[in-house]
Amino acid sequence: MRLLELAKKSLVFYWRTNLGVLLAVMIGTAILTGALVVGDSVRHSLAMMLTARLGRTQLALVADNRFFSAGLADKLAQELNTIAAPVLHLRGIVANSDGTKRANKIEVLGVDDHFFSVGADRNPFGDDFSEGIVLNEPLAARLAVAAGDEVVLRIEQPSLMSRDIPITPDSDLSIAFRFVVKGIAGGAEFGRFSLKANQIPPLNAYVPMQWLQEKLDRTAQANILLAAGDTNESITVERANEAIKKCWQPADAGLELRSLDRQGGSLEAGGFGDGWLELRSRRIFIDESLAEAAINAADNAVGILTYFVNELRCGDRSAPYSMVTAMGQSADSNSFIAMDIQDDEIIINQWLAEDIGADVDDLLELTYFIVSPMRKLEQQKSTFRIRRILPMEGLAIDAELMPDFPGLADVENCRDWDTSIPIDLDKISKRDEDYWDKFRGTPKAFITLKAGQAMWANRYGNLTAVRYSLRGESKENIADKILGASDPASVGLYFQPVRARGIKAGDEATDFGQLFLGLSMFLIAAALVLMGLLFVFGVENRSEQVGMLLAVGFGPKLVRRLLLIEGSLLAVLGAIAGTAAGLLYTRAMIYGLSTVWRAAVSGSAIYFRAKTSTLFVGASAGVIICLIAIWLTLRKQVSRPARELLVGDLKWQFFAAAPVSKRRFGLWTAVIAAVAAVVLLILMAAAEGTAAAGVFFAAGALLLIAGLGLTQFLLRMLTGRWSKPVTSLAGLGLRNATRRCGRSLAVVGLLACGIFLVVAVGANKHDPLANAHRRDSGTGGFAIFGESTIAVLHDLNTRTGRESMGLDDSGLEDIEVVQLRVHEGDDASCLNLNRAQTPSLLGVQPEQLKRRGAFTFTKTIQPRTKKATSQRSVFGAGWDLLNADYGEDVVPAIGDYATIVWALGKSVGETIEYSDEKGRTFRLRIVGMLKKSILQGSLLIAEDEFVRRFPSEDGYRMFLVDASAEKADKVTGILSAGLTDFGLALTPATTRLAQFNAVENTYLSIFQLLGGLGLILGSLGLGLVVLRNVLDRRGELAMLRAVGFGKVALKRMVFYEHGALCLCGLACGVVAALVAVGPALSSPAAQVPYLSEGMIILAIGISGAVWIWLATAFALSGSLLEALRNE
Amino acid sequence: MLELINVAKSYESPGDTVGLCVLKDITLKVEKGRSVAIVGPSGSGKSTLLNIIGTLDRPSGGRVLFDGKDLAKLADSELARIRNREIGFVFQLHHLLPQCTVLENVLVPTLADKKHLSPKESEERAINLLQRVGLKDHLLHRPGELSGGQRQRVAVVRALINRPRLLLADEPTGSLDERASQNIAELLVELNRSEQVTLILATHSMKLAENMGRVLELNNGGLAEKGKH
Repeated sequence: MRLLELAKKSLVFYWRTNLGVLLAVMIGTAILTGALVVGDSVRHSLAMMLTARLGRTQLALVADNRFFSAGLADKLAQELNTIAAPVLHLRGIVANSDGTKRANKIEVLGVDDHFFSVGADRNPFGDDFSEGIVLNEPLAARLAVAAGDEVVLRIEQPSLMSRDIPITPDSDLSIAFRFVVKGIAGGAEFGRFSLKANQIPPLNAYVPMQWLQEKLDRTAQANILLAAGDTNESITVERANEAIKKCWQPADAGLELRSLDRQGGSLEAGGFGDGWLELRSRRIFIDESLAEAAINAADNAVGILTYFVNELRCGDRSAPYSMVTAMGQSADSNSFIAMDIQDDEIIINQWLAEDIGADVDDLLELTYFIVSPMRKLEQQKSTFRIRRILPMEGLAIDAELMPDFPGLADVENCRDWDTSIPIDLDKISKRDEDYWDKFRGTPKAFITLKAGQAMWANRYGNLTAVRYSLRGESKENIADKILGASDPASVGLYFQPVRARGIKAGDEATDFGQLFLGLSMFLIAAALVLMGLLFVFGVENRSEQVGMLLAVGFGPKLVRRLLLIEGSLLAVLGAIAGTAAGLLYTRAMIYGLSTVWRAAVSGSAIYFRAKTSTLFVGASAGVIICLIAIWLTLRKQVSRPARELLVGDLKWQFFAAAPVSKRRFGLWTAVIAAVAAVVLLILMAAAEGTAAAGVFFAAGALLLIAGLGLTQFLLRMLTGRWSKPVTSLAGLGLRNATRRCGRSLAVVGLLACGIFLVVAVGANKHDPLANAHRRDSGTGGFAIFGESTIAVLHDLNTRTGRESMGLDDSGLEDIEVVQLRVHEGDDASCLNLNRAQTPSLLGVQPEQLKRRGAFTFTKTIQPRTKKATSQRSVFGAGWDLLNADYGEDVVPAIGDYATIVWALGKSVGETIEYSDEKGRTFRLRIVGMLKKSILQGSLLIAEDEFVRRFPSEDGYRMFLVDASAEKADKVTGILSAGLTDFGLALTPATTRLAQFNAVENTYLSIFQLLGGLGLILGSLGLGLVVLRNVLDRRGELAMLRAVGFGKVALKRMVFYEHGALCLCGLACGVVAALVAVGPALSSPAAQVPYLSEGMIILAIGISGAVWIWLATAFALSGSLLEALRNE
Repeated sequence: MLELINVAKSYESPGDTVGLCVLKDITLKVEKGRSVAIVGPSGSGKSTLLNIIGTLDRPSGGRVLFDGKDLAKLADSELARIRNREIGFVFQLHHLLPQCTVLENVLVPTLADKKHLSPKESEERAINLLQRVGLKDHLLHRPGELSGGQRQRVAVVRALINRPRLLLADEPTGSLDERASQNIAELLVELNRSEQVTLILATHSMKLAENMGRVLELNNGGLAEKGKH
């Protein structure tokens, strides 16, 4: 026979005890493995979502507000030997036919068959890409429509020129169409397509690309290009970007290189000599990077900047609304601006001279608007001396010099001009109309390019055209030179590794395995304690066997090894069963995450997935943890002398008082821990925010230790001398509680720890509605949070702005709106399970928030002053940090705590690499962190920096509205109704805050639930201890019966004994928890669930009482006389 | 073979500075192969004395020499080895493992030191001994299937499995009826002779004690030849 065989036989023989141990091991392992498998499942789900949203897409070129020719896709496909799909992407709004259901911020995707080749098994359009709309499943569900139903789609109308420039019309910002839904796209039809790393399904509407191009006057253009990966992943970003450089054409950069019509002759003669080429941009202004390349492309290149001026005045006479052209100086005949013309000199045409009675050397005053935020018209003036008057002939009557200003270039007369600049029709005379009829937008005056750029250069560019003489240069040659000297990335043509980023986002996502492991920790600990108790009871039952083994020559080590083998077998069997049960636990957790805990995963579908390696790790961890627990319990059991074990002396051991040193250990522990808690609280009295919470939690934990130390001391002390005889059943029960100090302490400790955790965690729940009106709260004092699909261009704080938006001003007079620019990116909020790689950016005017003292900073990059520490309102000064200068390529950013810490995994002072719309990398430096706020999900940067980095992002798409509580509903109604076509969605700020808080509160609920389950296990442990204690003492109890005690009296005695332990555990846990949650209790936003917390404590108390009573009743059942005889 | 020189044993008692003295100045010499009975009333310290001899307890004073070696100077592991190879124990309660068969119970001590006897040798010896005590037909029975006397015989065989030179029996018939007690007494005497094992038996039964070569009485902590107080 071998030790293993002996162990196996013992295992089978003591199957009842071992079954209990096995079940406890199984529970512990099941929870542990289950938690890890939850992690597997979330990771697997994120990976599935990545595939669903990207298909085979490896790289994506996202030009956003810039448009390139869709044909570029074919060239790149050939160059890269893969599938490339052009997509025309715009934001939109869609409603069902009667307008009762509506979805804002939807993605309108103009696609062709290439798109579905990249990502879908099926093409929902079939062969007919001529018309129709396909909605993805979430969008169809939102609208409650199916194939064949009608929907109304409103699409943003992309502008040729940035709408932030006042001259651009601000009407017709969107265009609506009525469609019959052609089909519903599910996962197999690429219905989840999205380039954003987010598990929440997007709302997509697919329309034929060609149809969309035509409707938006964007013939053959696209703004997204998807490149499919190949099997050997040879398509890298570098290779793809090189391919762009090789394949791109001027049209892809929005440029047009055209031959001017008039041939031959000099400028003065009205001809273009050997022929001229002109480079224009569809965006009116030529990007600076391209402009420089264009100027350098030929020696005779002449830069041109034509601008619309409000007035040309000479003395008391003026001409309204005219074009003025700034031109590069040239000695050649291709420019009016000769080399000797000064920057303060101007050349005017004959018409203007006659109109305003101007002559050479007279002073001419130009009045014009410049680009400023919110399309505010900032009027400026400049004065020039008239150098020369051009006759109305030749190039002086070149209407081509006027760019295709939208709303100007294509109208027949001045009165039809459609610009946002207020046109005073009274100022337009018959003569002005005649000029327009005859010469259209021919500039009336010319200045040097330098002077023009000083006045009119803006973030969109500093030229409106470049002209070349074709002397010795071909059109192709010039085009090649321009493209060769330019970086496609500078006009947004660069690929991004979207798949790699998606994988990274999933890999770095919140580890739900660890999260659930943490949440389940107490449950696991409770299972282990239960297992330990059961195992020890089993060993104690066999103490005489152990004594015999020691007596026949087994060393304590060998006996321990024998029992450890038994324990190992149990642990292995339990772990195997637990691993299987863990899968059920995972399914239960996933069920919870898809139902009652939906908020924790933002309603995302989580698919079950268990990796073999995870199961192995879980089972192994279960075995190891159990073996450690068993080993710890065995150390003490086998260390007793064989003679004691042989005569069953264990039950008498309590008669021996513990040594003084052992008794005082508990007292010293209690004193040291209590003093440490007090010192900690005094030293850290000034701590705030999370630091304060940490201090209080630590102090609470120390008090818990102090409580347990004191309990141990009292138990030990009571074990010793008794100065007075017991006079009551309760006293006898209390004295009995001291018999097994270790067991009693385990029960008290388990209950106390459980209550401490459950109460402390529960008290940290926050009520987003508490003090939400305050400006230092998470709402920033704003009543309404809004997001629009289509950018709002005007200032909603001014009457003019509101009127421009067509809003009814009554009811909106008192409101204050903080408007934010938005650059879409990954959602960096707790609603996104992925780790955000490129978070959304918001452009804000810091002074607006600073002035209001909006929100509270938990941390800023600068050391806080004493004043700032004591006065939270001073934290508003943190907004100034957005204007701080950290170097050329460093942009200060502020974000919500959850965004920075959890979604981005960063902290204050760290940086994030980001690319602007021209592909230039810059770093966002986190300079401040906001306390839980409605701004979660994005990073905020100063608006100045925003428009510098993202000049194409027009207007404002996020709104923080401050309105009184009474008026909030009315304001919401007015704004929603007035801005319906902008897809404005308004929600109470408190609702948004509650959504974010719901995530945290859900996690806390999960913890509480699992902690509660742990406590149930803990109280089951209490029941076992009671049972064991009573069974140990059946002889004694029989004796008590024999001397006249009734059964009820005995039950009461046992109940008092263990009830005292239960109460002690409750008291230790509650007192420590109350200290730990001090900051939460004193916080104005605290949502301490007193009722539920009280209920939990009560439930634990009742549960403990029930277990005690059941165990007592069971142990005292049957005949006690038998026990007396045995005794 | 075994010599006790001025052995004393006392237990500390809370609140009692003197302590409870169980054994006082015990001096005893036992030659190889002899059988000795120690008699005395309950609580006289018989079991304590056997525990000290059997290395399960240490004396408060005096020396215990086994083959001339002072047991007090040996480490716990050496004492365990001596218990395993040199000393066999028979207790009042048999302390058999209910989960194991008769044969397995007998073999349990061999698990502690496999170098002492080979498994085959152990098993042959166990069967042989069980045959001698009339339990050959019960090799695969569980203790629960045996009578009290049979169980105690198994316990005796278990004590002899490693060929000990000293067999300690502490009230081996205490839990048995008269007939079974007589059988065990005869068995012990027979084994003492045939196995040449030194036997020290603690009992309160003079009838059993009279089967031993020498009878000592333990009274008031002192040990003396029966009738020589």
